[in-house]
Amino acid sequence: MMTAAQSHFAPEPVQEVVHRRNWGAWLLSFLCLGLILAVLRAGIEARILDPELFVQYLFSEQILIGARNALVLGSLAMVLACGVGLVVALMRVSGNPIMASIAAIYVYFFRGTPMLIQLLFWFNAVPIMFGEISIPLPFTDIMLLQAPTTQMVTPFVAALIGLSLAEAGYMSEIIRTGIQAVDQGQQAAARALGMTRAQVMRRVVIPQAARIILPAGGNQYIMMLKSTSLASAIGYLELLRIATDIYSSNFLVVELLTVAAVWYLVMTAFATGIQTMLEKTFPLR
Amino acid sequence: MSQTIISIDNVRKSYGHFEVLKGISLDVPRGQVVALLGPSGSGKSTLLRCINHLETINAGKIHVNGELIGYEERGHRLHQLPDKQIARQRRAIGMVFQSFNLFRHMTVLDNVMSGPLQVLRQNRGEARTKALELLGLVGLSDKADSYPSQLSGGQQQRVAIARTLAMEPKVLLLDEPTSALDPELSKEVISTIRGLADLGYTMMIATHEMSIASSFCDRAVFMADGHVVEDRPAAEFFAAPREARTRQFLDHYADSAH
Ligand SMILES: Nc1ncnc2c1ncn2[C@@H]1O[C@H](COP(=O)(O)OP(=O)(O)O)[C@@H](O)[C@H]1O
Ligand SMILES: [Mg+2]
Repeated sequence: MMTAAQSHFAPEPVQEVVHRRNWGAWLLSFLCLGLILAVLRAGIEARILDPELFVQYLFSEQILIGARNALVLGSLAMVLACGVGLVVALMRVSGNPIMASIAAIYVYFFRGTPMLIQLLFWFNAVPIMFGEISIPLPFTDIMLLQAPTTQMVTPFVAALIGLSLAEAGYMSEIIRTGIQAVDQGQQAAARALGMTRAQVMRRVVIPQAARIILPAGGNQYIMMLKSTSLASAIGYLELLRIATDIYSSNFLVVELLTVAAVWYLVMTAFATGIQTMLEKTFPLR
Repeated sequence: MSQTIISIDNVRKSYGHFEVLKGISLDVPRGQVVALLGPSGSGKSTLLRCINHLETINAGKIHVNGELIGYEERGHRLHQLPDKQIARQRRAIGMVFQSFNLFRHMTVLDNVMSGPLQVLRQNRGEARTKALELLGLVGLSDKADSYPSQLSGGQQQRVAIARTLAMEPKVLLLDEPTSALDPELSKEVISTIRGLADLGYTMMIATHEMSIASSFCDRAVFMADGHVVEDRPAAEFFAAPREARTRQFLDHYADSAH
């Protein structure tokens, strides 16, 4: 009571507030900066990269084609992977033991083997297994499509199939956790309104699951864009393959690897941009 | 005698070896408001979820509006109906949940329109007019464009009621509609439900809220251990409970009210 009465007449001087500084973190950050500068300096002093040639190759036609090929292949493979992944995830949660087992085994195989092996398999084994691909018009002798498999399974097709099936293994697990994160109560409410199971999935579960898995999906898309470099193993002319082809004849190894790295970074920024945009357009509710 | 709209005939339900409903029989005439009382775990939710076949039953029959729910009689067997037909039967049976269960990715208006649009295939304009009318009825016209996460629990529950009414159900099942709400918010939901009683809706309300049960319910059904222990007009039930179990239960509430 006394202080309240006093302060009414003679306000105390405002005291400065001093918060603790985390000196350790500052010290560490300066150490990090020093380390980064040392590496950069070593690179510059050793002249590992000719800036003019670097810029020249950065926008060369072949490199741009390679970058475009990588973006197209990676994006198409991601879209297919989401589709296949959704089917596998729905099989996994279907409640039917055979479907669930098939889905589990799919995930095990496609996540459990290196993508490179899968790509080589699709490119080499499929044409041996099926000599000719023919799709007849149902109930007639007319062939909609008939061609030797080697002609149809081009490096692009093999890479697309290989990357998307492998990625579907990862995506199906991501999608499954997303589906299971949508609460049961909403599903009960939707069924109580008279929606069929399929409608509940389409209208209630999948829209919310899609939003939940968006960050993880964006991450996978970035990985996929870089995984397209594996397609060089089966002769598809993507970014890394083109860069290595060029430097194996002119020995500008660092320039061309850096050029490729820059374009992968641009693609990553593109993927991140899409993800951020979607996250803002559909905020978590 | 008014016409029976919900008929529950010797219904049994087990989870594994645990029998939750041990032969429940109950006939509800059109327009009656039934309070379903009983300690937690007595099977109130399970019974309500059997009525719209969110749960399968192991024996007995449930008819709503004269239609056998969830099954089809062929010979001496009951065969479960396909998903589509069960979905069609559920249109006539509205349900309100303890945890509201609004669709969180939809606005309030879209929630209320979801049944008419997806299930009844009404056109948007028609569904919208009806939905806005219902939001007016529950006093939430100004919240049409909000998302559920922006509403209080009481408001969410009133939206859930409007969403259910949009299907023009013949009966309403309410499973502890106010249990997730604090007393202040309960009041607004209770007055909404009272309004539905006044409109003549047939309702079965599982509740621990004695102000619902004693003020506007016509009938009280007390369940314990999977049986109906006492089933009488609400006024008599509260004035002079017959069974020892019931008295014990009501005393417990009288005590906890102090
Ligand atoms: N899905 C389920 N699986 C197994 N047991 C359940 C399930 N749902 C409810 N039960 C059990 O059935 C009994 C009755 O539950 P419930 O109908 O929710 O009671 P109430 O609504 O009266 O509190 C409880 O013992 C509960 O544990
Ligand atoms: Mg309950």
